[in-house]
Amino acid sequence: MSSTLKIEGLRAEVAGKEVLRGFDLEMSSGEVHVIMGPNGSGKSTLAHVLTGHPGYKVLGGSVKLDGVELLELSPTERARLGLLLALQQPMEVPGVRPYDLLHAAGASEVNLHERMVEEAHKVELRPEVLERFVNVDLSGGERKRAEMVQLGILQPKFAVLDEIDSGLDVDALGAVARRLQLATKEWNCGVLAITHFRRLLQELTPTKIHVVSEGRVVATGGPELSEVLERDGYEPFRAQSA
Amino acid sequence: MKTFADSATSFIASQSDAASRQGAFSAFEATGLPTTTDEVWRYAPLSELSLDKFSITSSPSKHTDSAFATDLTKSAGLVIRVVDGYCVNIGDLPNGVHAESVESSTSLSGQSLINRYESDTFAQLNAALAPSTTVIRVDAGVHVEKPIIVLNATSAQSSFSRTQIELAKGSSATIVEYFEGGENALVVPLSEYSIGENASLQLITYQRLNASAWHVARTTGLLQRDARLRQAVIGIGGYYNRSRNDAEFLGTGAENELRTTFLGSGKQVHDFRTRQFHKVGRSRSTLLSKGAVADESRSIYTGVIEIEKGAKRTDARQTNHNLLLSPHAHADSVPNLDIRENDVMCAHASSVGPLDELQRWYLESRGVSRPDAERLMIQGFFNEMLTTLPKELAQLVEQDVTSVLSQVKVVTP
Repeated sequence: MSSTLKIEGLRAEVAGKEVLRGFDLEMSSGEVHVIMGPNGSGKSTLAHVLTGHPGYKVLGGSVKLDGVELLELSPTERARLGLLLALQQPMEVPGVRPYDLLHAAGASEVNLHERMVEEAHKVELRPEVLERFVNVDLSGGERKRAEMVQLGILQPKFAVLDEIDSGLDVDALGAVARRLQLATKEWNCGVLAITHFRRLLQELTPTKIHVVSEGRVVATGGPELSEVLERDGYEPFRAQSA
Repeated sequence: MKTFADSATSFIASQSDAASRQGAFSAFEATGLPTTTDEVWRYAPLSELSLDKFSITSSPSKHTDSAFATDLTKSAGLVIRVVDGYCVNIGDLPNGVHAESVESSTSLSGQSLINRYESDTFAQLNAALAPSTTVIRVDAGVHVEKPIIVLNATSAQSSFSRTQIELAKGSSATIVEYFEGGENALVVPLSEYSIGENASLQLITYQRLNASAWHVARTTGLLQRDARLRQAVIGIGGYYNRSRNDAEFLGTGAENELRTTFLGSGKQVHDFRTRQFHKVGRSRSTLLSKGAVADESRSIYTGVIEIEKGAKRTDARQTNHNLLLSPHAHADSVPNLDIRENDVMCAHASSVGPLDELQRWYLESRGVSRPDAERLMIQGFFNEMLTTLPKELAQLVEQDVTSVLSQVKVVTP
């Protein structure tokens, strides 16, 4: 079954500053949408607002998953409807084991451990890392691979990835990108990837690329748009938005 | 009705070493119970303590192991049962291990108990009123494989138990001191651990007394050269839970890792005191104290690192974290340093606060409900402390903590 994520006129502020200023985007299951833009353009804010981070305040607009308004729901309810955020810096939760997190998040206990090990193999993560507390004493690469294990178990309808490529070496980036690409086939996962870099796109084929400037989408195109960005930078797009 | 003093006097008169006991009791009577004007008792609800509610028992109550004690002893190599302060049963001794119940008024430091604990009223009471000393000795070079468990149960109105553990050179053992029972009782255990040259003791004190008990405990580790003491002190029971844990470094290269943990609920008061006394150099102490207070409970952590002049290259660290689970709960943290030598590494840190909002959001954003997220985080707070325990014991303690947590209401801002 195909699902739709529809963001309309989304406005949000962080620390009293309006960072999202009428953000629009629509995507369907199995698609890969990539959001690119300069620092401070509102990319990370979008990711955090979608999942209800307590530090961000929504000023207006709408985010609907299959017609259900997410902005009125708690972070838990949003996740249970099928939205999963992978963070730029996955948070350490001392004392909590990944198994217990996933079980509490609604994953069936049937073969859960085995399935986690299987998911770890898919992103070339040593399974013993999953015995440690969530993200504690993990390298940057291990953390992001561990988040892909969560993704594989929870199988969200839409995965939002906030700069998942930052601080990753080429091997880790490749493993993460391949996992996401596979997810689009495996359960028709929709991927909304926020990135600074084109590197991610070498293994993750975008359906659409959106260029963001000053809190809204200023250009949308196919994979070829990333080449334009590579050549000309964000400056021409910034000009358009003015 | 007999007063506390009457029952104590007749108990002492019936003992073979009545004279030294009477000396300790007189010392106690001379000072009396402490008051909250005394800094070290400042936070204790002493106005609620009336000794006349507790009489001294002249024989141990009839006792059968609780279900928890039965689980606890499943993996034990030796079980010693102490009821109302009386050592009632010593199991089969593993090779190289000796255990007995003896009449003694001497501290493992070599001093008399009266002198050793001169300024400690409750320790004086223990010196006067403990029926005997339970002594456990491990021979030189012996590595005791399975844990030795001392089951300490209180059914009477009071219990004064005394334990002395001696590890000879190069030996190692894991010993659990477990406390239960104590309904409306006064429980005053006094324990000493002497760890010989290059010996290694893992010591776990687990206190899950009845929520009405007054528990005033004191432990002291005496560490010789290259000795290691890894001590975990966990307290979830008692109305007033006072736990003082000291370590004295007598030889270079000695190491002490102390982890104290508590979970406060109802109107409990948890009062943890530590003293790491580095008398010689190149000794190391790592102290981690973590506790959570829920409902209307309170906690106090006061710890001092003392470094003697000349104890060069001592490395001492002290950390205290307190989790507030209710706006009516309260935690105080008072770390102290007393350093008389310059060439040392010393650090201390402390914090008091509610659950981390962002960690909770992170769990919620995976689909975990808020109550589950909070439960996982609080359990996690304790799990971190349990990682060093033997696995079977860690599981039992974890279950206990989970069950207490299921009864408290977590209120976060």
